[in-house]
Amino acid sequence: MTARILVVDDDTALAEMIGIVLGAEGFETHFSYDGEAALDAFAELKPDLVLLDLMLPGLDGIAVCARIRETSGTPIIMLTAKSDASDVVDGLESGADDYVVKPFNPKELVARIRTRLRPTPDSSVETLRIGDLLINVTGHEVTRDAQQISLTPLEFDLLLALALKPNQVFTREMLLEQVWGYHYKADTRLVNVHVQRLRAKVELDPDNPAIVMTVRGVGYRAGASTSP
Amino acid sequence: MPAPVPYGWRSTVGRLRHVWRTSLQLRTVAITVLFTTVGVTLISGYMSISIATNLYDARKQQVLAEARQATASAQQLFDSSVTQTGTIDVEAANQAAQLAISNVTASPGGSQLAILRTPGQVTQQTMTARLSMGLDLSVISEELRDQVAADDGVLYSQAVSIPDEERIDPGLVVGSALEVPTAGQYELYLVYNVRDVQETLDFVQQTLVIGSLLLIGTIGLVTYFVVRLAIGPVRLAAETAERLADGQLDQRIPERGEDVIATLARSFNRMADSLQRQITQLADLSRVQQRFVSDVSHELRTPLTTIRLAGDVLYDQRDQFTPTTARTAELLHTQVERFEVMLADLLEMSRYDAGAVELDVEPTNLVRLVEESLEGIRPLADERSSELRLVAPGGYFEADVDARRVRRVLQNLLGNAVDHGEGKPIVVHVDSDADAIAIAVRDYGLGMDEAQLERVFDRFWRADPSRQRTTGGTGLGLAIATEDAQVHGGQLDVWSRPGEGTCFRLTLPRRRGEAIGRSPIDLPPAEPLDGALQPDDAPGDRAAREGER
Repeated sequence: MTARILVVDDDTALAEMIGIVLGAEGFETHFSYDGEAALDAFAELKPDLVLLDLMLPGLDGIAVCARIRETSGTPIIMLTAKSDASDVVDGLESGADDYVVKPFNPKELVARIRTRLRPTPDSSVETLRIGDLLINVTGHEVTRDAQQISLTPLEFDLLLALALKPNQVFTREMLLEQVWGYHYKADTRLVNVHVQRLRAKVELDPDNPAIVMTVRGVGYRAGASTSP
Repeated sequence: MPAPVPYGWRSTVGRLRHVWRTSLQLRTVAITVLFTTVGVTLISGYMSISIATNLYDARKQQVLAEARQATASAQQLFDSSVTQTGTIDVEAANQAAQLAISNVTASPGGSQLAILRTPGQVTQQTMTARLSMGLDLSVISEELRDQVAADDGVLYSQAVSIPDEERIDPGLVVGSALEVPTAGQYELYLVYNVRDVQETLDFVQQTLVIGSLLLIGTIGLVTYFVVRLAIGPVRLAAETAERLADGQLDQRIPERGEDVIATLARSFNRMADSLQRQITQLADLSRVQQRFVSDVSHELRTPLTTIRLAGDVLYDQRDQFTPTTARTAELLHTQVERFEVMLADLLEMSRYDAGAVELDVEPTNLVRLVEESLEGIRPLADERSSELRLVAPGGYFEADVDARRVRRVLQNLLGNAVDHGEGKPIVVHVDSDADAIAIAVRDYGLGMDEAQLERVFDRFWRADPSRQRTTGGTGLGLAIATEDAQVHGGQLDVWSRPGEGTCFRLTLPRRRGEAIGRSPIDLPPAEPLDGALQPDDAPGDRAAREGER
């Protein structure tokens, strides 16, 4: 099945060019040129992934991102002309999974999209425990005391990566490679922001995490599993 | 051995000297008081002396007049005591004379008298010498007696000290000769106690001293207030100027009155107004310009992305094109990439210019970071057959730095070293001490002369524009590297000699916000032990450098 991608960019030439590049890679592309139209198109098309420009007329990219996240965990990759700290962090905090800075090269864009669309790696186990959480690997579900916690696919991948190797300390670079598919030095803020978002959902006390633990100077590791 | 006490004393002196140097008010008051004291002392000294002289003179005149009268009346009495028969009852006359003298002398402080026989006479009869009660004859000196005995009708006087119970009073002795009929020559001495004069004088002097002290105090106080009045506005102006200099552009001095101080305040405020206007204007201009550069760069990005994508699509299909079109696609591809790098550098520079740079600090192992960067540059270095070496005596710990920026600096320095290294080895030194960490990149290539060294950190400056570059530099690399170092609180230094090569050294504080002292690596760094990298034409220079160490 070809993946359906919604491209949201007010620059029609760039949108068309992205369409050509992605079309050549076998993706099905749809276009929206402003924020409101993007939300309508999202509801109608149910795309597998959204490429979202941050600077849009009317409703801006960050607002669109936040609105989509209210109802769906669909992967969102931001396109941004600014690599300034605040813009990127704002975008990530509003729920984007990854970002690409203009001007990007087509291979990079395609690689980013493929990583986000790839299925969660097969695992020999069906359920895992991390802290007081139960992870249903095949069902893509996380529960605490039979109460389901809704995570985006990226957040699920992040949690799963930690839970699969409970004794390992993951550096940010390892997580970037394993979860985001970066094989070279990338922006570690991606990890920081998503760990914060994940903690906000799964931790009982996000300021005092028990599930995603920080190892100062190194990275993160899974919290010890406890029987419910 | 220096004891702590002299040190404390010296520091007190030092503090006083400091206060003296810094306080115009203290200096003015001290100098005024000093000169006033000298003046008042001279004046009151003169007054005291002249009053004393006058008092004594007046008293002496009075005493002499009295004594003259007393002598005259005594002589007259003796003369008139001679009876018709030519006899005289000298003792009775003596008694009467004494009474007469007492009547005449009514001087304050009282007087005593002595009638003494001039020694060495032979006469019909002698008269008993008479002394007032309690008179100590020793106050009448021999010289005075000799003068009086000469009997030339003159009154002789002498200032003496009169012992009186516990103290000694000043006194005046006046002597004159008396001719007692039939009994020969006698000497009349009147001893005056002039304690009252001394007392008056003491009182006057005491008053003068107290008055002088009060005067000095008053003048000191007045000076203090006047100076304060005059210096106050000046000090206020100085403080305001200081705050203006610190960038608080809205500081002004209150303008009161019409005097010279008010004029100073008005002129000062006018200057501050104009300064503020110009600085604000410049800042606005600069902001507008930075904003423009930033906006242009951002606006360029979207079309550039489209061009980039289009170019890459064409580039990927170049095999299907004719050779000319394929080459065109290649050129498009490489030049778009170059354009991109330039735009990125320009944006980074504009971010620094706008002060919109935030450090993203994380614990980073510098040696590992250098190793990674060396691996990154290795293909290029191999192309130029430059050997890459790492000398790392220190730096094996996690330093709090922005790894992305340090890596960028390093890549830039390594790229430059490869470009200008002439295929000779490139040595990277990493070291650390208690306060700082340092990375030095040393090449043994062309090197730069003084004029080039001065410009090496300038934007868009290139050592040799005709040189082929492999790392695609934009001319902003070292300018950005300098900013990267400074935003860490560190610095980027350079050493270079034509023909010997170049060394760039990045020094960063070990902990954020702390000052760096001396860099842990010398510039240029000490050569590796085996000496294999020593340029063969500079033995003298090497000796000089070793001498320094």
